[in-house]
Amino acid sequence: MACFLSRRSFLLTGAAMGGTAMVAAMAGAGYLAAVDMDGPDGFVADDRAVLNAFVTLHDDGRVVVQVPRTEMGQGIHTGLAMLVAEELDIPFDDRISVEHPVEQLAVYANYSGPLRTRPENMHGPLMWTAKRVLSLLPLMNTAGSTSTMGLWFPLRSAGAAARHMLLTAGATRLGVPAEEVTTSGGFVHHAGSGRRIAYGELAREAALVPPPRDPALKPASAWRVIGRSQTRVDIPAKVRGEPVFGADVVLPGMLHAAIRQPPVFGAGITRVRNESEVRAQPGVLDVAVIEGRGVAVVAGSWWQAELAATRLDIDWAATEAELINSAMLASALQAALHGGEAHVHLEQGEVEPAFRPGAAQVVEATYTAPFVAHACMEPMNATVLIRGDGTAEAWCSSQSPLSMRWGVNRGAGWAGVDPSSVTCHVTMAGGAFGRRSEVDVVAQAAFLAARHRGRPVKLMWSREEDIGRGVFRSHAGARLRAALGPDGLPAAYDALVAAQALQQSALRRNLPLDIGGSPNGDRFTAEGLDKSYYAFPGRRVRSRHVPSHVPIGFWRSNGYSFNTFFAESFLDKCALAADQDPLSYRRALLRDSPRHLAVLNRMAALAGWGVPMSPGRGRGIAIEAAYESVVAQVAEVTVATDGEIRVDRVICVIDVGTVVNPDAVIAQTEGGILFGVTTALMSAITLDAGSVMESNFHDFPMQRLADAPDIVVEIIPSDLPPGGAGEPGIVPVAAAIANAIHAATGRRFRSLPLAVTETTGERRTRSVLRDHAA
Amino acid sequence: MQVDASEDKPLLWALREDLGLLGSKYGCGIAQCGACSVLINGVSTPSCVTPIGDVTGASVVTVEGLAAADGKLSVVQQAWIDEQVPQCGFCQPGFLIAVMALLEQTSQPTDAEIDEAVTNICRCGTYPRIRRAIHRAASARPQD
Repeated sequence: MACFLSRRSFLLTGAAMGGTAMVAAMAGAGYLAAVDMDGPDGFVADDRAVLNAFVTLHDDGRVVVQVPRTEMGQGIHTGLAMLVAEELDIPFDDRISVEHPVEQLAVYANYSGPLRTRPENMHGPLMWTAKRVLSLLPLMNTAGSTSTMGLWFPLRSAGAAARHMLLTAGATRLGVPAEEVTTSGGFVHHAGSGRRIAYGELAREAALVPPPRDPALKPASAWRVIGRSQTRVDIPAKVRGEPVFGADVVLPGMLHAAIRQPPVFGAGITRVRNESEVRAQPGVLDVAVIEGRGVAVVAGSWWQAELAATRLDIDWAATEAELINSAMLASALQAALHGGEAHVHLEQGEVEPAFRPGAAQVVEATYTAPFVAHACMEPMNATVLIRGDGTAEAWCSSQSPLSMRWGVNRGAGWAGVDPSSVTCHVTMAGGAFGRRSEVDVVAQAAFLAARHRGRPVKLMWSREEDIGRGVFRSHAGARLRAALGPDGLPAAYDALVAAQALQQSALRRNLPLDIGGSPNGDRFTAEGLDKSYYAFPGRRVRSRHVPSHVPIGFWRSNGYSFNTFFAESFLDKCALAADQDPLSYRRALLRDSPRHLAVLNRMAALAGWGVPMSPGRGRGIAIEAAYESVVAQVAEVTVATDGEIRVDRVICVIDVGTVVNPDAVIAQTEGGILFGVTTALMSAITLDAGSVMESNFHDFPMQRLADAPDIVVEIIPSDLPPGGAGEPGIVPVAAAIANAIHAATGRRFRSLPLAVTETTGERRTRSVLRDHAA
Repeated sequence: MQVDASEDKPLLWALREDLGLLGSKYGCGIAQCGACSVLINGVSTPSCVTPIGDVTGASVVTVEGLAAADGKLSVVQQAWIDEQVPQCGFCQPGFLIAVMALLEQTSQPTDAEIDEAVTNICRCGTYPRIRRAIHRAASARPQD
């Protein structure tokens, strides 16, 4: 089904699916005519020919690919442009450039995240309707490792459609039948006459050719770009210091703003004690209380705004949350693990009977993980302009232009302004990791822009605001138990996880309407806990929501980041309880999961599993299937007699299905591993008197070059459709390290972070295992 | 170059706001992350905590100054491309500055010397590639 190429094919599809009336009833009459659901038809403008929503050709042969996903370091602009190059039948070279579109077309929507499927697999009236609702928004977020999954089919189709249009235009120009022409190297060729015409010369005519409804895609055997590492389109500018991140947006007449937000989440603002003093600081133009959410200082430069903000003396409103500290939050988690109603996510086979006293050897353990911050290198910022005529424009390193639009509307609304239109510019993002899906900073900037109409206002949070004022990944705890059968393998596996539900927290904060929804049964809380690929005859996964005043947000790999630590640490414990080798134990459990077993076996070979290590050293293993990919890792650690822990090496084998840009998958996996090592050893957000105690990189430290392990990543070839690559890398790391520590020391660490960080010099730290820490 | 700003304004903000040189980044403001690093008389220095009053008459090189006047990339920048180092790229100007300073001092640094000299933070996790790129740049640089 041609799902996007033209209005004509959409109308045909709509009628065929019998869903037209439903959508018309939902959205009102005229909806179909007003919203060009399936992207624009081709058109010509100036020196360029727009062939479809994704492909623009210039007279000189340059190809501009519209990539409606945020480049935040993952190399997505390159990977998705490669798909177009492949089907356009051109090499991936200098003629190709990438733009993030400003127009929010329905065809750019991300269906794969919310619907958890791929556009090419979306059949039936329910999916048809869901897709159209997402298109209507349109939700075009960059999240959940979905970009390649979701655009793998549309972008190849866009390239193939453009090629078809060029072939048709070329044949017409040459006066030969279309089936006699072919393409290569950016030309349309006619073999019979030896004549050829460059794409650029045909662009204008091609744009007016009716797009094919269902263009044929190249078979994998014909790929020349896909599957071969290409150099990234964004890197040359990045080594020159040229890319414009949100923080680098400069506009004529722009004002700068700094902010102070309540130290206790949810506390309001009673008053600013010294407003006139702050207003008198150099360059300061405004001091504004933003809807109880913060106090902003607006000045001619950010430095002036931030300096003046340090002088703010604010009376924060008292809330009950100021009594809360980390110990209380941890107690709430423990209480949830030992009582109360649980949501059952999954129950298969016999569970409770297997745990009857005396029936089997029972292994049981409890694990915990703390709140953690994203700490993107580029602090949160947004620039908003609201003009006198009511139109608005926003620039932000956002993961979601839809969130930007909602943010502008919300913030302007606080100031009593209702923008007539909002144009969103997504800039390069200096890291994102889920944090930049939030509307918060955009709404704050819009509020300020509404007070200073006609002038762009750039609001940037200091690093202290970024780390100390959320949002965070939830803390979590799990109680796991297994009843081991006669073969030592779990006959039943029973997992209970407690965490603060992510989805409800994030949606309540970010959606324009509070659609409520239950926090119970949050899929992000339980993801990664079912270990579905392990052959457990009995299996149960339950969760409990543990509310708190701390805002929870999307964070690279979400629930997998703690659940895989819990479950794969526990699997090691089961293996040792059964007196079996952790690798052989997992092999036995993967007897019905050949894809996972292949990954595990390759990793074991690569890591030299079983080769003895010197005293104080150990090797640990972990595996997970996430984002339709499978990833296994071995961590090698050294633990000194004083408890210092170093991760020496991480060996990783990953099956991400079909690989578009192998080097980018490797880079994402390396980066995910390092993100995971930092989190496993170093990261914790703690609270006292309701406030976050950490504020900057001195107390929320990161691995540095000197600490970083050697990393080996190998990709398993696969012909499955592409899976996600941005998040799987982080998932098994913590468990692999914890299991390696056990192998090295015989000690089992069941709480993250595994170590405490000691400062040893200027920008130098070391990690010391918790039981040795002073 | 002349900047008309208060003497206690950090060099980072003078570069970004008064001179329009946006390559040096604000990452922490407390000399922890190194995203703001610039060469001051050849020494890699966090510009976020360096008042401009302290650099009167000094030579300051930012990431924008690493390529030759004709745009040709320095050996270090080229090594960064060859090893496909940057991910988000926000911290990379600071790394490039730190590595320029290191290679000026030590033309063939050992891993231990690299660890000692390059203490910036990269959240994306480009460290393995940074190490490879430093060794590549060291062997590609003209030896004196």
